[in-house]
Amino acid sequence: MPDTTQPIVDFLVQFTAALGIKATVGVEQTANGPRLNIAGEEAELLVRHRGEPLKALQHVVDMAYGRSLPDDQRVFVDALEYRKGKDVELTQMAKLIAEKVKQSGVDQQLGPLNPYERRLVHIAVAEVPGVTTESIGDAFSKTVHISLRK
Amino acid sequence: MSALTDVVSVLARALTDRPDEVRVVESQHKGTTLVELYLAPGELGKVIGKQGRTAAALRTLAATAGEKEGKTVTLEFRDTPYKG
Repeated sequence: MPDTTQPIVDFLVQFTAALGIKATVGVEQTANGPRLNIAGEEAELLVRHRGEPLKALQHVVDMAYGRSLPDDQRVFVDALEYRKGKDVELTQMAKLIAEKVKQSGVDQQLGPLNPYERRLVHIAVAEVPGVTTESIGDAFSKTVHISLRK
Repeated sequence: MSALTDVVSVLARALTDRPDEVRVVESQHKGTTLVELYLAPGELGKVIGKQGRTAAALRTLAATAGEKEGKTVTLEFRDTPYKG
């Protein structure tokens, strides 16, 4: 494990202990950075309310440890693989919509999505030839517009 | 220390450059629990963040910790030294 990951794991262990839940932190190293998954039955507390606590925890980790990682890497914080499942779902949805746009020629929109979710959509749609994506809006969450490439 | 103050303290210590000066005080007010987070002067920005996004994240996680203990939580940030 790179020594930049260990402090983040230690932080999550401290956090779950403070919260009083029995949990373990799993680590998986990917090309995009470490993926940390909090496992254990009581980790369910973090995925309530549509995973809002998990999103908040991701933000705190980004603020506290984001800068300690190499530029092209990002920490990914998950619990019970909740976000992993959501990501797969969103990627499939994006591809499905892109195929629909390609066949019908009618533009489609997806969102509002946060920056991380938009990135997933842009990457997924890029795999469908002849279709292009654009983020629309000026707030933190934006809508992704999917249209035929001109 | 309750789970609530523990959680707020762990989060705040990770965010500030002066973790030794973090103090968390919990008190009861008419059915809601007030949590006051005291930080070293000048460290307030670290827990508030751009557009108050970090503050919102801390309030969400404080609410999660409160939920476990059946408490309704209000989190306030203070950058004056803790007296008492």
